[in-house]
Amino acid sequence: MKRLGLMVVILLSFLLMFSLVAGAAEEIVIGVYEPMTGPYAAGGQMTMEGVNLAFEQQPTVLGRPIKMVLVDNKSEKVEAANAVARLIEFEKAVAIVGTYGSACAIPGSEVANKAGIPMMGCSPTNPLVTLGKPYAFRACFIDPFQGAVMANFAVNNLNAKTAVVIQDIASDYAVGLSNFFREAFIKLTGNPKSIVGLISYQTGDQDFTAQVTYAASKNPDVVFVPAGSYGDAALIIKQGKEMGITAKFLGGDTWEAPEFIEVGGEAVEGGYFSTHFDATAVTTKAAEKFCKDFEEKYKKAPSAFAALGFDAFNLVVDAIKRAGSADPKAIRDALAETKDYEGVTGMITLDYNGDATKDAIIKTIENGQFKYVATVRPF
Amino acid sequence: MIEKKKDFLLLKIATILIIILFIFVAQRNFDTYVIRILNLCGIYVILGVSLNLINGFTGQFSLGHAGFMAIGAYVSALLYMSPELKEVNYFITPLIWPLSVIQIPFVFSLIIAGLVSAGVGFLVGAPCLRLRGDYLAIVTFGFSEIIRVLFCNLQNITNGPLGLKGLPSYTNLWWSWGIAIFAVWFIKNLINSSYGRALKSIREDDIAAEAMGVNLFYHKVLSFVVGAFFAGIGGALLGSLVMTIDPNTFSFFMTFQIIIIVIVGGLGSITGTVIVGVLFAVLMEVLRSVESPMSFFGLNIPGIPGMRMLIFAILLMIVVLFFHQGLMGNREWSWEWLYYKLTRSKKEIKEGS
Repeated sequence: MKRLGLMVVILLSFLLMFSLVAGAAEEIVIGVYEPMTGPYAAGGQMTMEGVNLAFEQQPTVLGRPIKMVLVDNKSEKVEAANAVARLIEFEKAVAIVGTYGSACAIPGSEVANKAGIPMMGCSPTNPLVTLGKPYAFRACFIDPFQGAVMANFAVNNLNAKTAVVIQDIASDYAVGLSNFFREAFIKLTGNPKSIVGLISYQTGDQDFTAQVTYAASKNPDVVFVPAGSYGDAALIIKQGKEMGITAKFLGGDTWEAPEFIEVGGEAVEGGYFSTHFDATAVTTKAAEKFCKDFEEKYKKAPSAFAALGFDAFNLVVDAIKRAGSADPKAIRDALAETKDYEGVTGMITLDYNGDATKDAIIKTIENGQFKYVATVRPF
Repeated sequence: MIEKKKDFLLLKIATILIIILFIFVAQRNFDTYVIRILNLCGIYVILGVSLNLINGFTGQFSLGHAGFMAIGAYVSALLYMSPELKEVNYFITPLIWPLSVIQIPFVFSLIIAGLVSAGVGFLVGAPCLRLRGDYLAIVTFGFSEIIRVLFCNLQNITNGPLGLKGLPSYTNLWWSWGIAIFAVWFIKNLINSSYGRALKSIREDDIAAEAMGVNLFYHKVLSFVVGAFFAGIGGALLGSLVMTIDPNTFSFFMTFQIIIIVIVGGLGSITGTVIVGVLFAVLMEVLRSVESPMSFFGLNIPGIPGMRMLIFAILLMIVVLFFHQGLMGNREWSWEWLYYKLTRSKKEIKEGS
């Protein structure tokens, strides 16, 4: 019986804590769900730096205080769906911001859309996040655009005639991006055989000898590595260079993490990738201010994911302002009408799918630093 | 004695009626967040009880549950999705012909999901169950990994890593709890039948069991197939609850969660599995409050993401240290047990006075 008593006490104390946190009225609740733990934790934390800054600068809207509630989604699908349901039903959020990673954003947006609560994605680039969901939006561009940008860059700027794609078969992001790159590359070169090789690996593999040997044997002009995780991409390039591949390596927005250069070292020098934001090539006034404020607060340059988190939060606040009410339906309608919003990642216009049409940025790695190369307008 | 037995029957019927009434009220009045958690409870109970049949009652340590769940989830989703939805999902590699036009009601898709999963359970179980202990664990673990990798690469059937999205959400409390109650009832009756006694004898000592005339192969495969059947249905319900599935949802961590439920509840106790299955789903959400910022008497504590995992780990350690055989050991809760306890304690009081 003593044990039983102990268990009851433990349970009751949890319930007490539970009830302590709930409550408070008159606030406008904006829910945020991000992967704070698990394999995407780095991305989630970078995003939160931006979201926190945005919240600090705009703690009130319509004269009412904003309550920002962060819920961890553990980089898991089931947890992501639970997290959004919790934000909507338990925290009574009127709008939701999140999340890094399409894998978590898709179940999240399903739940939000069904409940009729608008969701603003920060950096999930897979088309299916918003497709057919009137309540789902995002602040970033989508993979078909990203794939086309890189194919365009390869053909027009690097004069590539042939390409090999090494994709992460266990990542929906990588498979999607690889597919859009191949389509665009074939269209631009006009040669259906211009993709000379396509080979897959699994997230978390360490030895890529088979893949890079295959790529080397095809002798392509460029190698496209749309990795789901930056660590894999860095290792592939390292091992590829050791195998004697001289072709240029290209990638997507996951490459932009300091760890990518740490792991890849000299080998990743001269690689090109597309991303959302660059602190040295800001296009708007808002971005200048953002870079200054961010450096003051965190003592470092902002990453693309922080910038997107900042934009996503502000887009929601802006929509609440324009809607003039905290009614989810009104916020959704205001979000859908977002046009030429001056964000830190460029001018943002949301199209009929809820996707942002905006510039992509191409960067390279030079002397152990990410370096701005070009801005690509939407086409 | 006969009268008492009747009382229990009434009590049992009353219990089930109360549960049905509760589901009725909950489905109509509770908000979707609570319903989602209650659904998860039901699904965890189905998965836990079915794994307990294999691991707890038959003593065959299987790590393949996620594989069966994946099969169930995919088979059912491919059957109940509408052809239009399939076309939207398979935008990279089209779905192969017969599957792309089929659409059947949810209930049939569930049954077929369970049957296919059970069929695969037979195919895997028949050769593998010759192995014992660690070796069986390794082979079944390998099986669930093979399923995951296969599903990643069979793009024209499973849509590969892109998974299936926007699944219609059929799962409600009637489904999840109805099937959970059925699973508990079915497995309880199986355990209390001659089959069940044979299974337990295999767990205790398979050589002795064989010497007593128990057909080892038949009984082991039976428990494996029944376990796989319910795992398949559980996976199908989970898929429709989350509304999206991909091969990585069913990684080893999924099996690991179910194993935690079974071991903490007690290997060989259906009651324990039910209690912990429900607690697992509820605690994961309740403990979220630990991660949000709190203020105690003006003292502000910032939220720390990941804290609930830590508390969960501590709870697990408490269980391992103080309840060696899990919360319930191999005891079961029933009205008979309660009656026996109550009457015995009364007798003791009387004798004492």
